[in-house]
Amino acid sequence: MTSASTPVAIAGWGQTGPLAEDLRSIPEMVLDAVQATLRNAAMGYEDIDAVVTASVDVFDGMTASNIAVTEVVGAVMKPETRIAADGLCAAIHAACQIRAGAYDTVLVVAHAKPSMSDFYELTKWALDPIFLQSLGIDFLTFAGLQAAAMAAEDKDAVERWAGLAACRLADASGDGKSPGSTEILQSALVTTPLREKMCAPLADGACACVLRRGDDSSPGRKEIRLSGLGHDLAANFIGDRELTESAGLERAAARAYADAGIKQPEDEIDVAEPSVAFAHEEELFVQSAGISDNTIISPHGGLFAGNVPIVAGLSRLTAAAEYLRRNNDLRAVAHGSWGPAGQGQAMVVLENAIP
Amino acid sequence: MTRPVIISHEMDATWRYASGVAMERFANNLLERRIEAMQCGECKRRYLPPRPFCGNCRVPLTDWAPVASEGVLEAWTVVYLPIVDNRTGITRDGPYAMGLIRLDGADTTLNHYVAETDPACLKVGQRVKAVWREELRGAIDDILHFEVLE
Repeated sequence: MTSASTPVAIAGWGQTGPLAEDLRSIPEMVLDAVQATLRNAAMGYEDIDAVVTASVDVFDGMTASNIAVTEVVGAVMKPETRIAADGLCAAIHAACQIRAGAYDTVLVVAHAKPSMSDFYELTKWALDPIFLQSLGIDFLTFAGLQAAAMAAEDKDAVERWAGLAACRLADASGDGKSPGSTEILQSALVTTPLREKMCAPLADGACACVLRRGDDSSPGRKEIRLSGLGHDLAANFIGDRELTESAGLERAAARAYADAGIKQPEDEIDVAEPSVAFAHEEELFVQSAGISDNTIISPHGGLFAGNVPIVAGLSRLTAAAEYLRRNNDLRAVAHGSWGPAGQGQAMVVLENAIP
Repeated sequence: MTRPVIISHEMDATWRYASGVAMERFANNLLERRIEAMQCGECKRRYLPPRPFCGNCRVPLTDWAPVASEGVLEAWTVVYLPIVDNRTGITRDGPYAMGLIRLDGADTTLNHYVAETDPACLKVGQRVKAVWREELRGAIDDILHFEVLE
């Protein structure tokens, strides 16, 4: 159980990508994101007490994948923790370090470069080695099974998801040239009922942010605080779970809302940045996180602008922070998800605050 | 920007996983075309594939319960992309169907291939039956796939 006694603020953020293929090396990508973050926070490496990174060894083709970025994240001779899960989980761990009083300023960094290999092929190695790996099943197939389970009793579901994908692709492109529902429903079947354009395009990228204690802020100066933290892990075997709902996200959201003092999420959240890699997941998010039509969802298209695994949730956090910085809205939520059919779920509540 | 040097990297390694007591019995049962689940003494949930611990009740599992090789298709998807079979290295071209099957007597569902690949012929709730390999070897692919019964 976390303690909200020490407020945590997000001091700055930056990213590189998403790009379908970034020709730079992973350290070059990460350095770009970290330098942008430090500039944004008006800080230098010397201001950082500790680092939390997020990366997955099998996606990078090496173990341990954090050693490639040790220097560029400024972790040499500093305490570093690596999270092999979504970057939002890394941000939660960094915030917990600050709340616990261990550090005042923590840099959070996530990276992934799926263009290096066949990403979904690699996801097979994240499954039970005896039973599931021998079947050759991967995360893409699990997404199809989940969407199929949701569509089984809902004949309008696939058309709705095409509409959601069209909306997010339009928000992401901003040029009015994105495909409409009809084109999406005619795109190639990937794993029924999901079609190619219902799947957020995989991309390379890195994202970072600096979290710091929020109780030493300049009085009267607006800052963005992480007021609610929650994460959850469901059973790994998807056959143990009810796929038409996300009990893990319900639990993660409930923890984050309780932490932030939110009693009615349907009325109290202005903007939501969910990690939606497949169109059906947006409905799971809305239903499980208790989001209503009063909330703006993914104003810039979310992951349909480019889905960088592991980076996704942290990029949702920085997108939500950017939204709050530019607007006077009070509260946003960022969501992260990882593992087969969303086994891992994370939720962070962000608030505009004036100390 | 000029295109940088791209260095190909291939990993090749072999692991020898201990099956554990639960999977050992499961595998030996497959050699006799028999399937058993493990049942939690607290919640009574019957887990398949079997495992040593109930994650919900946080208690070890020791009780076995027979389940049928027939059951109900709880979810299915037809995949149009090829996959590589990890055991043989042979590519399985699409389309192929993957299902979640609740065998009679089990409370959780089992991932496996479904023989039918025409989406129009598949629906949730259909009865399905395991089709066994002729030469059994004590692994999950002793079940080749599940066929639709109706």
